[in-house]
Amino acid sequence: MAAIEIHDLHKKFRVYADQGHSLKEKLLSKKRRSYEDRWVLNGISLEVEKGEAIALVGKNGCGKSTLLKLMSRILFPESGTVKLNGRVSSLIELGAGFHPDMTGRENIYTNASIFGLTHKEIDERLQEIIDFSEMEEFIDNPVRTYSSGMYMRLAFSVAIHVGADILLIDEILAVGDAAFQAKCFERLMEIKGEGTTIVIVSHSMAQLERICDRTVWIDEGKIRMEGAPNEVHPKYLEYMGQRRQLSPKKNVPQSQTAASDAQPPETPAKWTGIRLLNEQGEPIEKFATGDTVILELSYRAEPEKAEEVLIGLALYRADKALCYGTNTQREHLAPIVLKETGTIRCRFSPMNLVAGTYWFDAAMRRMDMFAYDYAAQAVRFAVYDPIDETGVTRLDHTWSFDAADS
Amino acid sequence: MRLIRELFQYREMIASLVRKDLKGRYKGSVLGFLWTFINPLLQLLVYTMVFSVILKSGIENYYLHLFVALVPWIFFASSLTTGSHLILDQKNMIKKIYFPREVLPVAYTTSSFCNMLFSFVIVFAVIAVMRIGVAWTVLPWLIPVMAIQYILVLGMNFITSSVTVYCRDLEHIMGVLSMAWMYLSPVVYGVQFIPQGWERYYMLNPMAPIILAYRDILYYKKMPDLGQLGLAFGLSVSVLLIGILVFEKLSKRFAEEL
Repeated sequence: MAAIEIHDLHKKFRVYADQGHSLKEKLLSKKRRSYEDRWVLNGISLEVEKGEAIALVGKNGCGKSTLLKLMSRILFPESGTVKLNGRVSSLIELGAGFHPDMTGRENIYTNASIFGLTHKEIDERLQEIIDFSEMEEFIDNPVRTYSSGMYMRLAFSVAIHVGADILLIDEILAVGDAAFQAKCFERLMEIKGEGTTIVIVSHSMAQLERICDRTVWIDEGKIRMEGAPNEVHPKYLEYMGQRRQLSPKKNVPQSQTAASDAQPPETPAKWTGIRLLNEQGEPIEKFATGDTVILELSYRAEPEKAEEVLIGLALYRADKALCYGTNTQREHLAPIVLKETGTIRCRFSPMNLVAGTYWFDAAMRRMDMFAYDYAAQAVRFAVYDPIDETGVTRLDHTWSFDAADS
Repeated sequence: MRLIRELFQYREMIASLVRKDLKGRYKGSVLGFLWTFINPLLQLLVYTMVFSVILKSGIENYYLHLFVALVPWIFFASSLTTGSHLILDQKNMIKKIYFPREVLPVAYTTSSFCNMLFSFVIVFAVIAVMRIGVAWTVLPWLIPVMAIQYILVLGMNFITSSVTVYCRDLEHIMGVLSMAWMYLSPVVYGVQFIPQGWERYYMLNPMAPIILAYRDILYYKKMPDLGQLGLAFGLSVSVLLIGILVFEKLSKRFAEEL
């Protein structure tokens, strides 16, 4: 028996011209009561086996979150059926029913009871929940004294310990700091190993690839493609890339200034554009592991005011892990004299990052490290990988095997 | 059946909502939990002033005649007034997480019911202080009467809470409706005031036979009229069944309408 059976699901929302809930409005103004039907799901059929983890991807508004809400029975379909076999826990909204005046411990009981646990079942899991959340010393303080990170940690911990057969997750792996995120992720893998069925909606392809067996790409309320993540994701990213290039304004990478480096309002040098190019010099947003890529940094400066600078680069993965950092000074290159406008290129050949989403930060600093401009997340890009490697970067290697007859 | 099984599964949630409601109801007020008792006592004082001092009704021990009806009435009226927005109040939870929606009316009805039980402590205190005494043989009849009323109020809560989501005016109409309903029930007066020939229609109001039964047991110290009680049971169960059907149908779009 499949864990999730979805058959020909249709769902529409009423979009009211002017939503009036009062009787007068309902009686007197027929026109204002008018609404349009917007179909968000147009016939989705899907089966998920027990113990399988699937990812739902698609652009904003494609219906993936609606599908998840239909699975969790928050919404009901116009036609079609959704059948879930087993206890469902949704990590769509964490901390449902949390009461700020009650203690962490009391809130564990309230929150877990909403997932349908009995008092006895909660008693059995209490210690595990507290341990996982790392909140032992604060557990008897009222929740209103918690930081938002602590709040989420506790809520996540409850949700993940209810012993669900099916876990529905909506973009929540951004809980707490990097260490706790990693822990959550490990725990998810563990739960999956125990045979729990998992459905995840996320934009982080790297995360999805690590945990999911199958990706379902939803577009305009229909399944556009489904299959192994490493087959679907490159196609999806390519599609998203094309879509973005249709609206060029958004695509021009604007340099942003980071708050951490104070700078005068009138800086004598600024980034004007930061792009990633392929070997042919065409702008790209995704590439395969091992491709050659060029980071192109354009700037504008006032040569009479600007001193000599160094250029710094930092490469981050989407989970904010620093993958690589360098600058021209460390590499013993001469200080750079700025012109009125100019372009700096840095060539990575080959760029051996494994599959995932990454970004570059780019800094232009005076030799005393004062930043003229610091562009955080100046250019984001995705890497796909024909080989299912893990880690951060591919290390050059060759295999050799003993000949069979020696 | 599915409903009963799900409600049983979610019993801890119901219990925790009831606890939270009972604890939180008067949180932040100076007298706190005492309001459970003070409120009916103040109402009792007002009605007693009006109906035994100003409009002399000629009923012996009028305050008790009224009190044994007023306490169950307040329980019933809660389903019309506060009960009507119990779904609206839980908007955030309903939009964000699944649980059987029926949990909410069940929990609310149960906490109002507990409040009525606490108020009955005062009723018995009054009976004891005034040396009126109770008939121990008929007292157990309170249990089926209370059970019937619970069924009725639960049914009402299913209806009012779900319809209010779609038609917010109901919340405001309920105040007037609950006042009219009270005067159509034998709360401040006895059934002897009903004109001849009207009784049959009067009893179609399920609260009429229920209140009369409370009064028979505690004021007249006699067995309630079983025919009337049977009628009340039938009506209450019908209200509950209709309530469940209405709620089932309307609850599917709660998350979208809220």
